[in-house]
Amino acid sequence: MNVFNAAVSGLFDLLLAPFRSLSPWIALAVVSLLTGFLMLSIYRRASNQDGIRRVKNRIKAHLLELRLFKNDLGVSLRAQGSILAANLKYIGYAFKPLLVMIVPVLLILIQLNDWFGSRPLRAGEQALVKVRLAEGYSPIETDLRLEASAGLVVETPPLRIEEDREVDWRIRAESPGVRELILRWADQSAAKKVVVEDGRLARVSTAKVRTNIWREISHPGEKSLPSDSPVTTFEVRYPERRLGLFGIGVHWLVAYFVLSIILGFAFKGVFKVTL
Amino acid sequence: MKRRPAPVLRAALALALLLGAALPAAAYIGPGAGFAFLSSFLVLFLTFFLAIFSFLSWPFRFLWRALRGQKAYKHSQVDKIVILGLDGMEPTIAEKFMAEGKLPNLSRLKKDGTYARLQTTIPSISPVAWSSFMTGSEPSKHNIFDFLSRDPKTYLPDLSSARIGKPKKVLSLGKYNIPISKPEIRGLRKSVPFWKLLGEQGIFSTILRVPITFPPEKFNGHLLSGMCTPDLKGSQGTFAFYTSDPQKIHRREGGLAVPVTVEGNAVNTFISGPDNTLLKSGGEIRIPMTIRLDPERDEAVVEVDGQSLRLKKGVFSPWTGLVFKPGLGIKVRSIARFLVTGVRPHFEMYVTPLNIDPEKPALPISHPFIYSVYLAKLLGRFITLGEANDTWALNEGVLSEEAFLELTYSNHREWEAMLFNAVKKTRKGLVVCVFETTDSIQHMFYRYLDKAHPALKTGQAKMGASVIEDLYRRMDDLVGRVEKTLGDKSALIVMSDHGFKSFRRGVNLNSWLWKNGYLHLKEGTSGDGEWFKDVDWTRTKAYALGLGGLYLNLKGREAQGIVGPGAEAAALKAKLMSKLAGLKDDAGGQVGINILFDRDVVYRGPYRENAPDLIVGYAEGYRASWDSVTGKVTPSVFEDNLKAWSGDHCIDPRVVPGVLFMNRKTNGRPPSIMDIAPTVMDLFGLAAPAHMDGRSLLAAESGADKKAASQPLERPGKKGRP
Repeated sequence: MNVFNAAVSGLFDLLLAPFRSLSPWIALAVVSLLTGFLMLSIYRRASNQDGIRRVKNRIKAHLLELRLFKNDLGVSLRAQGSILAANLKYIGYAFKPLLVMIVPVLLILIQLNDWFGSRPLRAGEQALVKVRLAEGYSPIETDLRLEASAGLVVETPPLRIEEDREVDWRIRAESPGVRELILRWADQSAAKKVVVEDGRLARVSTAKVRTNIWREISHPGEKSLPSDSPVTTFEVRYPERRLGLFGIGVHWLVAYFVLSIILGFAFKGVFKVTL
Repeated sequence: MKRRPAPVLRAALALALLLGAALPAAAYIGPGAGFAFLSSFLVLFLTFFLAIFSFLSWPFRFLWRALRGQKAYKHSQVDKIVILGLDGMEPTIAEKFMAEGKLPNLSRLKKDGTYARLQTTIPSISPVAWSSFMTGSEPSKHNIFDFLSRDPKTYLPDLSSARIGKPKKVLSLGKYNIPISKPEIRGLRKSVPFWKLLGEQGIFSTILRVPITFPPEKFNGHLLSGMCTPDLKGSQGTFAFYTSDPQKIHRREGGLAVPVTVEGNAVNTFISGPDNTLLKSGGEIRIPMTIRLDPERDEAVVEVDGQSLRLKKGVFSPWTGLVFKPGLGIKVRSIARFLVTGVRPHFEMYVTPLNIDPEKPALPISHPFIYSVYLAKLLGRFITLGEANDTWALNEGVLSEEAFLELTYSNHREWEAMLFNAVKKTRKGLVVCVFETTDSIQHMFYRYLDKAHPALKTGQAKMGASVIEDLYRRMDDLVGRVEKTLGDKSALIVMSDHGFKSFRRGVNLNSWLWKNGYLHLKEGTSGDGEWFKDVDWTRTKAYALGLGGLYLNLKGREAQGIVGPGAEAAALKAKLMSKLAGLKDDAGGQVGINILFDRDVVYRGPYRENAPDLIVGYAEGYRASWDSVTGKVTPSVFEDNLKAWSGDHCIDPRVVPGVLFMNRKTNGRPPSIMDIAPTVMDLFGLAAPAHMDGRSLLAAESGADKKAASQPLERPGKKGRP
């Protein structure tokens, strides 16, 4: 899984590299455009295009029927019923391509979450570091130590929360760049990247997790912890990123959803897809 | 006590929950879901909006109709009338098959209601007869006398029903002429169709493919234009025939022969589209087409306009959209079907005429404009060309008899679907649908009923009389299926505009006029130039044009007229009538012409002056020859008709009446096609207007048309002199 994650993450890093110095909107628009294209080609292949065309035509026909038979209440009511029935059928036709799309879209969303979900720490800004232990390990009995590389300071001693099997610290960023936290226990250690803002768009991996396929997929930015590690999650609580639009902070998922749909619809003719 | 929500409310809540739950899901799985759900929500929103609007506005619309004083159904005997027009159904054939028990539904109509032979118009040609059907008037009141009329200034033919001209105002910009006004699209049929009169009284009609309804007129109802609706090239149907066989490249009537070369199992050619009126230089708009042949499988892949059609030899493609681009981003849309008829040793392919795309019509073909769009969305693409069935392709040997029948019945099924949709959606009102299937198939297969037909000895005469029997059985079945959908308060009328007879021999009237000194050719010409190219007008007194028209070369009317109006013209007409009536075939001595009708006797309406001076009533077995119709002069007057087009009706109207079936008893008076309009109005409890020549046929009248119904009617046609 580490190899797969590294490959996918590498691809996204490469893709977004030219846009890191620009507004995050541009990077998101590029990804939205490319994923729009990908979705269109998947939709074209995975869906019953003839069926969709037929059912959409029926919907349009019954909508026209409402206009053409406006004086006949009976025909209008039947037309409305037919529209609803055809609409359900249309949703049914969309179901298969949806299933096919879930896998790539999920991977894309996870990657985008790393890039747009959180923002790096600013110099002087504080953040919580949370370490969660596996079942059977006590945070009080396990000797966990956190060390910071240059540019980061661990400000507090560990706070051990027995019932949550969790140990927390507070750190402070001192200078821009990709810094590192090292967590030590017994004779083992784990390193975690901490990104301090240098004015450019950057991948922000919020957590490093213990080997487990689903957890690894959802945290692709860093190599996972060994499966026998007492630590299950090594997490830095970054601030949430909002994309500025006319003074309003927009969640990246909303922006991506709207952009990819608009671009998908705009290019459906080029891909000869009926949506 | 807590009240439980009503079922409707519960359903609405459930729907709201479902939609609410769907939204975050859609957002989570991204654009794929977005595509589907966004469209669905848009549709739902629009539907609910329209539903609410429809409910709220209905009482106001109802009140408005009441205030306008519409008397819809106040004295009506029926809720609904369905008229099935079976163009050209021949009474003698129908009577024979009914007697043999082959047409049970029509027989039942005859037994329980009415059956009669229906007097047709003078001349007995579909555009004329159907115009009389819809206006209840004789031809000089609706101004349609043939498919063709002529321009007396040029002696050239014009389409009699409509004029399509270029826009009057154009902006000249570089190489373009950009239209800034609408093109001229004008119907030439006069008078008022009865469905317009019904509409004024609040009775809704759906009119499907009635001839001479292009361009569509506004009225209270829906209309899809029929016969005379042009193709995208502006013609009445131009097929294309692609062939690599050099021997088959010659002029094809009604179509284009396109020579192609097969190079490495591929053919690079084009679809020939309409003229580019946007360009000052003009020229044909073309769509490139590549055909990849697979001789092993006997099939071809046609790549055209971004589409790839895999076609097995002998199997028609579905309707395929073709978009022509004249420039400046303008798109002109058409639809066509493809049929590969040969892969080896020669590649051959037939392409139907380029039909106006009903989903995005380049010209108005329906009223309202969205009606054709609605039909196409609901039922799929359909043929829009007026002369839908490609008789010329069979005549010219491009289509086999089997392929022609397949295409014709495929068109027929499209019309049936429209008809049944209209009948289903019309709770009260009128539905009229004309099927030209009966006309086309009888034109092309009548020879199988006539053992003496000369065309049986030539060409592709492989089928038999069963084609016609099958046709009549199918029409009977259609009648039965329509009848099943009707209630007690519905009237059903099944009718044809004329009958049919064998067309064995052609009569070239221009040749007769030439031989008898009424028409002269220019020095050194043979007379075989089309449209009177070789005629010396300075010495010509009369000429024939179209299927039954004979014109005098009248001074002051024709550009080079030499016959004085008044007494001289009357004397010439009298002479021509006496010489031509009873004209005998030089081979066999049979009479080829029964009668000539003098327009000044048979017509009384305001457009009489536009009619031919004389209308020729050919005898059974005869018709205007192919060359005569197009203004050619040939050495012989009579000639064998060797074409597959072997049945016809453009003859003495008394020989080719139509049929009338009705599920109501009539008053027993011999009916005329002009009586249908007043009868329908009478059934709806409305009086027919005075300008109509027809009278109600109802036995027990509603009171609306009592005056004339029982009186014997003097028909204009009966004044013709035999």
